[in-house]
Amino acid sequence: MTSYFSFIFLAAFLPTAVAVYAIAPRRARWAVLLVASYLFFFWLSRELILALWVSTLAIYGTGLGLGALIRQRDSAVKAAKSGKREIRARFARKMKIVMAAGLLVNFGLLAAFKYLHFFASVIDGALGLVGITLNTELPVWAAPIGISFYTLMAGSYLIDVYRGTVAADRNLGRVALFLGFFPQIMEGPISRYGQTADQLMAGHPVTRANLYAGTLRMLWGLGKKMIVADRLNAFVKPVFADYTAYDGGIIALGAVLYTVQLYCDFSGTMDVALGMGRIFGVSLPENFRQPFFSRTAAGFWQRWHITLGTWLRDYIYYPVSLSKPLKKLTSKARKRFGNRYGPLLASSAALFCVWFGNGLWHGAGSQYIFFGLYYFVLIVAGSLIEPTAVKVAERLRISRESAGYRAFQIARTLVIIVVGELFFRAEGLDAGLAMFGAMVCDFNGASLVDGSIFGVGAAGIGLDGHDLAIVLAWVALMLVVGLIRERGVSITERVAAWPLPARWALWYTLFLAVIIFGAYGTAYAPVDPMYAQF
Amino acid sequence: MEERETILEILDELAPGADFEGCTTLVDDRVLDSLTIVALVAELEDAFDITIPAVEVVVENFNSVDGLTAMVKRLVEDQLD
Repeated sequence: MTSYFSFIFLAAFLPTAVAVYAIAPRRARWAVLLVASYLFFFWLSRELILALWVSTLAIYGTGLGLGALIRQRDSAVKAAKSGKREIRARFARKMKIVMAAGLLVNFGLLAAFKYLHFFASVIDGALGLVGITLNTELPVWAAPIGISFYTLMAGSYLIDVYRGTVAADRNLGRVALFLGFFPQIMEGPISRYGQTADQLMAGHPVTRANLYAGTLRMLWGLGKKMIVADRLNAFVKPVFADYTAYDGGIIALGAVLYTVQLYCDFSGTMDVALGMGRIFGVSLPENFRQPFFSRTAAGFWQRWHITLGTWLRDYIYYPVSLSKPLKKLTSKARKRFGNRYGPLLASSAALFCVWFGNGLWHGAGSQYIFFGLYYFVLIVAGSLIEPTAVKVAERLRISRESAGYRAFQIARTLVIIVVGELFFRAEGLDAGLAMFGAMVCDFNGASLVDGSIFGVGAAGIGLDGHDLAIVLAWVALMLVVGLIRERGVSITERVAAWPLPARWALWYTLFLAVIIFGAYGTAYAPVDPMYAQF
Repeated sequence: MEERETILEILDELAPGADFEGCTTLVDDRVLDSLTIVALVAELEDAFDITIPAVEVVVENFNSVDGLTAMVKRLVEDQLD
């Protein structure tokens, strides 16, 4: 078992977990989920489960410490006749220290597992400038599964307790399950304590409606992952690994297909995660909302990996842009540059932190940092240009809400997304720049139509006409579903109202599609969920 | 009532032409984007002599004029000694 897509997980682990959960008494169901979660974690990461336990105990203990300070503060404020502000400030200082200690344990573990070599090379480089050479030999560790995801969840719990938006939890089981719930441990969604903790403990029964809707959503995700993403790997992998062998046309197609692959892989895994949650009666937050219909780069990030975006917004963007020094900057700049451009300085400083954080979160490679800064520049430039774009459109009498203008915006954003993903997937920044260069300077449309695309990769395992037809058909289906959702229609609710035979016909059609068209077996290399590496 | 009127004046200045009165989706519909919110916080802090911490910048408080008014009233009261 390596992921949610392993046969043994789908055929044995999950059905057993659901069956035991369903027959367990309601008050014990949370424990079934916790045991299943730890078994899953142990299966994937063995003794590294200790890291998850340290994180769990750290946030549990820190949460209790913060809770005690909050109670002391409130009674001190209540008893005081004056000087309440000072009392609050005094306690805020103590609480900050306690919270920082908890965050340090969690993010320290993340740094040790994921960024040790990156930081060592930065330090080595800096010391090298002053003539000092350190031959640091650092161990290479595998990281615990999902550490980037659950660390953000752990951090959000501590900050929420500090802020008073959730109460410190005395129930260790609930804290443990919030952090370790197996459907979301691999790739998120990054949920908040207030969103999922109580639901996980509720022990909702497994209902027929939830079982149907949950497995249907899982099948939809399995389709995206196994029919499209895994099949496209046969084309994408060789193009990115051996890019010097291909012209700009093939590289451009590689970038487009990688974007499709990544979306199908990640959003497919999310469908599986949310579907599993649904079976247990747990509503996990959505991570995608038709991202390729976005009209701007900023809009794209409100529809793609939504829970990471909102995490960065709530815990980085607003705290930084509303910090005292930046607030002062905003006040001064507003007087000088007005209300549109004035806040842009503080906002840009905060956005820089957000996008640097976004890049670094994905990994310590230069291509990820570049990817983050690419969006930083585009989004700040978008804010700067916006008022001028409005005026130009008015002058030219172009309606910004017309279908033509929207299509132009969507097409422009798609180009931005594909170029971003090219750098993101490239094996290092140098490779990304070389591939981008080839795409722009050595673009050859002929190679896209003369059959060259079927020669990509080793003979027999590349993409053939049959593969391409299946991918195109499934992508067309996804497009139709996306358009329906974009109109605000909930497909799950619509389907729930169908007559029974129609519902089962849909279920079996999806099931058979995955079985027949899924890319598995000896002709395809198994592909682990892509976001699990981040 | 006077808090509400001041807030409406500030909003009109920051995003002229938008209909704020009955709207309960100012953030959801991006009438207030993150940039405008940074400016709005600065304006509200100046106008009411309060500090608006990042924790208050949530959809519930910023989606409507009523939400903003309730938040301002609460912070004014909280931050009185």
